[in-house]
Amino acid sequence: MSAVWSFLSRTHGHRRLSWVDWASYAYLLIGVLVILLPVLWIGLNSVKSQTQLEKNDLSLLPSDFVRVARGTIHDENGRRFVILQNLPDWVLTWGALAVEERAGLDPEAIVNARSDDEYYILRSHLGLVDQQARALIADQGLPSDLLKWRSLGNAAKADLDLPMLLGQLAASERRLLLEFLGEPPFKPNKLIAQILVTAPHPETGVIEQFAVSSITSRSNSIAGRSVDGDPSKVWKLDKDQVQASRIFQPAWRNYLEPLSGNANGVQVNFAQCFANSMLVTVLATLLTLLINSMAAFALSKYQFRGQRFFFVFILATLMVPPTITLVGVFKMISATGLSGSLWGVIIPGAATPAGVFLLRQYMLSIPDELIEAARMDAASEWKIYWKIIVPLALPAIAALGILSIIWRWNDLILPLVAIATSKEAYTIQLCLLEFSGEHVSQEHFRLAMTVVSLIPTTLVFVFLQRYITTGIASTGVK
Amino acid sequence: MAQLDLKNVTKKYGDLQVIHGIDLSIESGEFCVFVGPSGCGKSTLLRMIAGLEPITGGNVEIDGDVVNQIPAAQRGLAMVFQSYALYPHMTVEENLKFGLENLRMPREEVQARVQEAAKMLQIEPLLSRRPGQLSGGQRQRVAIGRTVVREPRIFLFDEPLSNLDAELRVAMRGEVAALHKRLGNTMVYVTHDQVEAMTMADKIAVLRDGRVEQYGAPLELYNQPANRFVAGFIGSPKMNFLPAQLKDGTLSLGDQVVQSGLSAKTDDPNVTLGIRPNHLTVDDKGPVLFNVESVEQLGGESYLFGQVMIDTARQEFTLHMAGQTAVSAGDQIRLSFDVEHMHVFDAKDQRL
Repeated sequence: MSAVWSFLSRTHGHRRLSWVDWASYAYLLIGVLVILLPVLWIGLNSVKSQTQLEKNDLSLLPSDFVRVARGTIHDENGRRFVILQNLPDWVLTWGALAVEERAGLDPEAIVNARSDDEYYILRSHLGLVDQQARALIADQGLPSDLLKWRSLGNAAKADLDLPMLLGQLAASERRLLLEFLGEPPFKPNKLIAQILVTAPHPETGVIEQFAVSSITSRSNSIAGRSVDGDPSKVWKLDKDQVQASRIFQPAWRNYLEPLSGNANGVQVNFAQCFANSMLVTVLATLLTLLINSMAAFALSKYQFRGQRFFFVFILATLMVPPTITLVGVFKMISATGLSGSLWGVIIPGAATPAGVFLLRQYMLSIPDELIEAARMDAASEWKIYWKIIVPLALPAIAALGILSIIWRWNDLILPLVAIATSKEAYTIQLCLLEFSGEHVSQEHFRLAMTVVSLIPTTLVFVFLQRYITTGIASTGVK
Repeated sequence: MAQLDLKNVTKKYGDLQVIHGIDLSIESGEFCVFVGPSGCGKSTLLRMIAGLEPITGGNVEIDGDVVNQIPAAQRGLAMVFQSYALYPHMTVEENLKFGLENLRMPREEVQARVQEAAKMLQIEPLLSRRPGQLSGGQRQRVAIGRTVVREPRIFLFDEPLSNLDAELRVAMRGEVAALHKRLGNTMVYVTHDQVEAMTMADKIAVLRDGRVEQYGAPLELYNQPANRFVAGFIGSPKMNFLPAQLKDGTLSLGDQVVQSGLSAKTDDPNVTLGIRPNHLTVDDKGPVLFNVESVEQLGGESYLFGQVMIDTARQEFTLHMAGQTAVSAGDQIRLSFDVEHMHVFDAKDQRL
């Protein structure tokens, strides 16, 4: 730690910081921030919940407002509002839970623990009305047409003679059935999550808790219902004095769901995409290194007719933008039957003129006498390549390898052309496209998976960056 | 052990001919040195023998077999390069083994040969190091070791000592000579340094512009140079050359008669007289007047540099004297020639 500090606090000759030091440190700091901030921003946003992202919440951390449950009940006394306290978190998000997630939960216990209005609200909200009403109809031998009550015509409804049926039931059963049928005065009871805020009470000025639907408002006031007092009245709260408390809540499901293939509305499995990209990157890079280094060896160390022509020809292809050859590449891929297969991405990218050039320039600096010595040592040409040239050109090969890994991993256009037809072969860049459809845009998944897609290239940079500098530096100078 | 014959060997790069029909015969076990100024084709010739350069014309024969089309690896030769050409990414041991492993030699034999060579060249403690960690002399030994383990029929050396400092060069010269004595193989050695040639060779081939000027034992070249070029190239300091006239068996410098009764005849009376700096004596009645311009006193011997006047032409001149001398710069002394060590070259620079 002290070594790090003494490294970071070095000065330019003098003991005090001179202006050169200030300038250098400022430059370094700006450089670090310029590079680091966007990455940090993506990282932090990737664990924000979908709702937080959709509200364009610019806060730094993934967080959610402290929520409070507000129930609406409809019965013979009309519509009323109730604030429900001390509910488990899952009760509020019950409607969004998947079947497996509901498995370990016990809604009945929650419902039965409450009484009166709260009982009825939770019973509706947790879907127990349906369940219990069906059981009631079966138990009491009531007409099964009741199950399709809402689709019945008025005459059919009259035939069933609802008042007569109700007369046979106890009061609580009667209410259950009416809630199920949605007959006046009953309507489905609702429970929604509202934001819990504190604000001075408009009349008394005492700080109290209120439930509001949103803390952003165009006017100066926010409408809220008292949590501690009577929730039936809506108060206009002074916007500037409303305070909402947040809880830090990273949404790991942004990562877990796409990676396990369970993301709602996403048709690709991200683990598969990742594996595909890995395969493409590794195989294409190995092929690239093999082919390019062999070409570079021939161009740098052999003398043959047309050597200069081939070198210029290879270099000339550097001048042609890849977009221009795209149609040709597509035709080639479909003609060879590689379309829709990962090989369609791996093979066309294997030979890169830039790589040939980089390796050739480096190999020119390997003395010819070494090759002659190897020939005198009875080495075959392949052995000279494999045992002498490749080890000695390793810095350049490593540099090209890193570049190739980054090219292949980040490549979008070639996969788009070659494998867009088969979802099993999607690489990670194609999979990222899946999140922005015509009607939906799932930024929370996209941000999270973008972070995942950054990990391999980052690791490559961290562990192999010294080869990039040595490789490129030595090819440049010699 | 192998005999090497070059028969009318030529080499052309496009229209440029660099080797002009060389005929040489190197006997089995001989140490032959190719010597000549830079650009004379000696390295090219060696590389043609090695198989690293294609042969344009003529034949290279090893033990009577024409090897022109046989690749370098299969000629059974080993070569020490000027830059040593050690594989920088391999340890010394791997460097030594590389050639043997390529020949698919059994592992025990590879090990035995490497150990033997390392012991002979005293590089055993260096076996696990890389070439980058060795000094120039050590690298030289490893380069030689790499050829020794191959047990080749012929060793080829391409200016192997030119990258070493003077002291080390003398020591390595001795080692190479000792190696030849111990192994007894045929060796071909290329150098531009005539001292190396004189000290190590059984036979020297002096090359100029792709031609062999003379081929023979070192002292033969020294005592009876075939032409003015060989005479000037072999021996240090260089032989002195003076324009002279040869008429009716009488050799004269200007109006001074140097020697009469010579049997040599020539159509053109204008000849060149060659005399080595150590075959002169200070003599008040000598035929030439030497203007001393500088004196180098080495203690055991002295060199005097200056000019002599022949008619009206000034000629560079060097004098070697045993011991120390009282002559100083600016003095004029007369010199006489050691007539039996005089060399006379005709107008075409050929020996008479």
